[in-house]
Amino acid sequence: MLRELLDAYAVPDSRFDEMLASAGVPRPHWDAFLRALAAREGPEIGDTLSQMEREIRENGITYNVYADPKGADRPWEVDPLPLLLSASEWETIESGIAQRADLLNRVLADIYGPQTLLRSGAIPAPVIFGHSGFLHPMKGVRPAGGVHLFQYAADLARAPDGSWWVVSDRTQAPSGAGYALENRLVVSRVFPQMFSDLNVQHLASFFAGVRDSLLHWAPKPAAGEGSPLVVLLTPGPYNETYFEHALLARYLGFPLVEGSDLTVRSGCVWMKTVEGLKRVHAILRRQDDDYCDPLELRSDSALGVAGLTDCVRRGSVFVGNALGSGVIESGALLGYLPKLSEQLLGEPLKLPSVATWWLGEPAAFDDAWKRLDKLLIKPLERSFREPAHFGADLTHDERILLRAKVAARPQRYVAQEWVHVSQAPVLERGVAASLARGAPRSLQERLAPRAVGLRVFAVATPDGYRVMPGGLTRVAVDGDSRVIAMQRGGRSKDTWVLSGAPVNASFSLLSTTVKPEDLVGSRVNLPSRAAENLFWYGRYGERCDSAVRVLRVAIAGVLDHAAEPPDGLAPAILLAHKLGLIDDTADANVALLRAATHPEEALANRLRQLSRAAFNLRDRMSADNWRTLNQLAADPVFQRGTALPLALSWLDRAVTSMMTLSGYVLDGMTRSSGWRFLSIGRRLERLSHLCVTLEVATTDGAAHSLDWLLDLTDSTGTYRSRYLVAPEWLPVLDILMRDETNPRSIAFQVKGLSEYIAKLELSHGRFASDVLAPAQAALRDLAPKDLHPESAAVAEVLDQLRKCAGAVSDELTLKFFQHAASRSVLSLVA
Amino acid sequence: MNPERYIVHHETRYAYTAPVSQSWQLARLTPRMLPWQKLLSYSLDIEPKADERRDELDSFGNMVTHFGLHGAHRMLRVRMECLVEVTERPSVDAPMAPPVQQQMQLQGGVQMQSQSQSQTRMLAPAPLAWEAVREAIRAEPQQDDLIPASMSEPTPLVPLSEGARHYASKSFGRGRPWLDAVTELMLRIHDDFEFEPGATTVSTSVDEVLYQKRGVCQDFAHLMLACLRGHGLPARYVSGYLLTDPPPGMPRLMGVDASHAWVAAYSPQHGWVEFDPTNNQLADQRYITLTWGADFADVVPLRGVIFGGGDQLMDVEVSVIPA
Repeated sequence: MLRELLDAYAVPDSRFDEMLASAGVPRPHWDAFLRALAAREGPEIGDTLSQMEREIRENGITYNVYADPKGADRPWEVDPLPLLLSASEWETIESGIAQRADLLNRVLADIYGPQTLLRSGAIPAPVIFGHSGFLHPMKGVRPAGGVHLFQYAADLARAPDGSWWVVSDRTQAPSGAGYALENRLVVSRVFPQMFSDLNVQHLASFFAGVRDSLLHWAPKPAAGEGSPLVVLLTPGPYNETYFEHALLARYLGFPLVEGSDLTVRSGCVWMKTVEGLKRVHAILRRQDDDYCDPLELRSDSALGVAGLTDCVRRGSVFVGNALGSGVIESGALLGYLPKLSEQLLGEPLKLPSVATWWLGEPAAFDDAWKRLDKLLIKPLERSFREPAHFGADLTHDERILLRAKVAARPQRYVAQEWVHVSQAPVLERGVAASLARGAPRSLQERLAPRAVGLRVFAVATPDGYRVMPGGLTRVAVDGDSRVIAMQRGGRSKDTWVLSGAPVNASFSLLSTTVKPEDLVGSRVNLPSRAAENLFWYGRYGERCDSAVRVLRVAIAGVLDHAAEPPDGLAPAILLAHKLGLIDDTADANVALLRAATHPEEALANRLRQLSRAAFNLRDRMSADNWRTLNQLAADPVFQRGTALPLALSWLDRAVTSMMTLSGYVLDGMTRSSGWRFLSIGRRLERLSHLCVTLEVATTDGAAHSLDWLLDLTDSTGTYRSRYLVAPEWLPVLDILMRDETNPRSIAFQVKGLSEYIAKLELSHGRFASDVLAPAQAALRDLAPKDLHPESAAVAEVLDQLRKCAGAVSDELTLKFFQHAASRSVLSLVA
Repeated sequence: MNPERYIVHHETRYAYTAPVSQSWQLARLTPRMLPWQKLLSYSLDIEPKADERRDELDSFGNMVTHFGLHGAHRMLRVRMECLVEVTERPSVDAPMAPPVQQQMQLQGGVQMQSQSQSQTRMLAPAPLAWEAVREAIRAEPQQDDLIPASMSEPTPLVPLSEGARHYASKSFGRGRPWLDAVTELMLRIHDDFEFEPGATTVSTSVDEVLYQKRGVCQDFAHLMLACLRGHGLPARYVSGYLLTDPPPGMPRLMGVDASHAWVAAYSPQHGWVEFDPTNNQLADQRYITLTWGADFADVVPLRGVIFGGGDQLMDVEVSVIPA
């Protein structure tokens, strides 16, 4: 079996192969894994792939690509086969990375401190001053513990001789650790037995190190502030790695905030919560540093926190990584590191960098052109967003052009030795040919070699740098690609660091440092933005629910009367039109079908809105909730389309899912103020929807039977249990308007709203009860004798309540969501 | 020469059409203390009263007043008033135009130049060629506390400009003495470019100024910085004031009644020399130094972030009166 598995897997001479020592012969640390893999039953591997793909889609693991015009998220692609590293090999990498992080931190401490390295020429001054990442305002700032480089990542590649090289350093706000964590969750679930048999080292302790160290480096809270508040600062949902930000925030237990959630007062950073301002002690930043403060750094930044730089200078907040740490990502620095290691650490650099020359040195420039075939020329800063040029690929003319371009600004470029990186197996769906030859089914999936690179991570703990035992293995797009980049659509792998002895599996992030006195009740910090997102999630959820139900009733009506059309249009169709679900009532059948199943029409659009609102709440949403929503929004009906009768079964399915979603809200959320905002959103939306529905019913629908209305409002059962007659106006309007016990009545919405608002007003002062009270009174005053379609009182109450819903929404926005106020930057005006 | 004293007023007013709920500001409005400049009295008034306020030196040594207003307001007024005494700056040797014969020799290169000069002119130190200034900064970046080294690189407002480098290259012939070359560059900018308020905005780039050949003092300073740094020469942006009233019989100078801007360029031989390309002259006792930095963004007199405010109306009043 093993032979068959490895049969078609080629090992070239020019690259190191991670799995095989030579053709057909696995390296010792892969042996057990491969035997177990080969022993799996036929269809099992194929199932493995499908299972993983489903899991990734449903968990919404994504990587956004800026360039995508639709702003769509691309599902994260994970290969099920992990990259295996032996314990001894890992030790080499681990100590090399810890040393390198320490060295780079010392370099940062010097260039933002005494600048001895620049004075002596150990680092050419232009390498630092000429780099856009050097932030003058940070000069002289020493962070807590001297930790500039809180998190560090390095991209490693393995040379043909088996040794590891550092290709580049990530010192700004390195991404990938969260994806590595997610890969681990997915892959370890696919191979649970192998994972435990091979003694794979766990990642949790690394993340505990991140969390505990942030709490350690944060300034001590003042008396009465409780434990330090740490936040994760993200540029927002449109960032390519936003998924990771949300994941990490949830995993580490830090609020996920955007710049607009924070503000500066008296030299301290504060988080705007619905409970007021809360002092922030540390910021784990995933936003580039020059965007962090429009006041002192880039004035065109719409993302930052005005005054953050000054807080950092005053030491009132710990920011990891320190502002300005991106400067040492410069490729120009790589060539100087061996000497700096000797000078600053008194020891040789353990992990070499890929040979790199800064072309700002005239000698290096001349030399590079002599050996261009073996080099790639790339810009010094990633922010230049310019591709690397492989010397060997260039024609004579292209070389001349490139040389002229580089010669004009040589200090912006480096030449780097081109390394033939190692390859590792990926699992691929096989070709039909193998089937034709009568190969066993397991070979439909085959192992194929792909170039790989490894990103590893370290964090500054009080005991020195701790390296994550594992990492993000990135896979080139096709067989011989030399560029490994997530933005270009590469896949990734989990990385298994094997251990000689059983690992302590009982450790998890939950073995925490929270003490009894740290327990907080329901008054958790709810950022205002999160409150607003919850509010809109509630509204959109209800909006989807009503759309689904109206369409279902309308389509059912059309189908019932297909043989014998009734006079005039059914009220449900008019309602669908009034709610904007269909544009046109002339050909209702077609319009309703489109509204329900077309990917660009009403229902799909509303579900997308709901998904987007949910996406902004990723850090607060349970995985189950998220999965249900993703299944709903990506239902195959939107791709395949369907016929009218079948659309009905889709809408039934959708109603069920919507009920599941509201079940989570009812059953799975603590009754915190966050839940209250969500509930107010739902009630307001349902209130205004009910008002519109009843307006249509009592006017255009006055002459119709009332079954559709009870059906739409899910009140058929209620009615039948109380009245034995066919639906009549008086009891129907009573149930839908005045009955406070019916969750689909107007009175029920109003009562709930008044309770939630009263609760919020207790802690925040009055804002909406004055608006709600008169409408509530008018509803209460509605007499049974008024309950008929021609009643002016009913029409008036409906109108008043619909307006009231809008007014309450406005008051709430004004009171709690003020952070959204427009901001402008006045700088650069003399 | 006797010290000159000036009273400087610099008032910035904002009027907002909608209330501003939050405002954070950085004021760089404190004249620097320099060997030739004393600040005798100084006040900075902020209206409405700032809720918080703190003075701190920035990384260039300028005094910055950080202040914040956290209550709703519809206007902001920041008024600086000071009394400054300016004495003569250290003298810069008059640009030495070497004899023709010597100039020929200079073209042989930097090394030859200093040799030949030490042979022919024993008394005065040999003027450093501009290439020698560049090499000196590269070889010994530590001089003057690394400031020249940090002022030789592109910045957001003065990025590398091939156009500026090309424009300047006429003045930077091989081996030409630094002072001579930079002085000529100043003259050419003055002659080739039209001073025209309103022709540019704060976001007009160096390349656009080069193309349209018009601008104000800030544009000319940025252009000159691009020219010098494009040749690897250190230079910084200086913000300040120029005496308003022309002395009797003297021509009226441009760039008055507003903040002024000029350039300080560095040579190991002369230190920082202040060139004013707008008026084609070296800074003298009429120039009051406020702040300096790598470009205008570093020295914006009032820079802030506000929430709300609607449309804004701003006006600035500057006056410099001999005391």
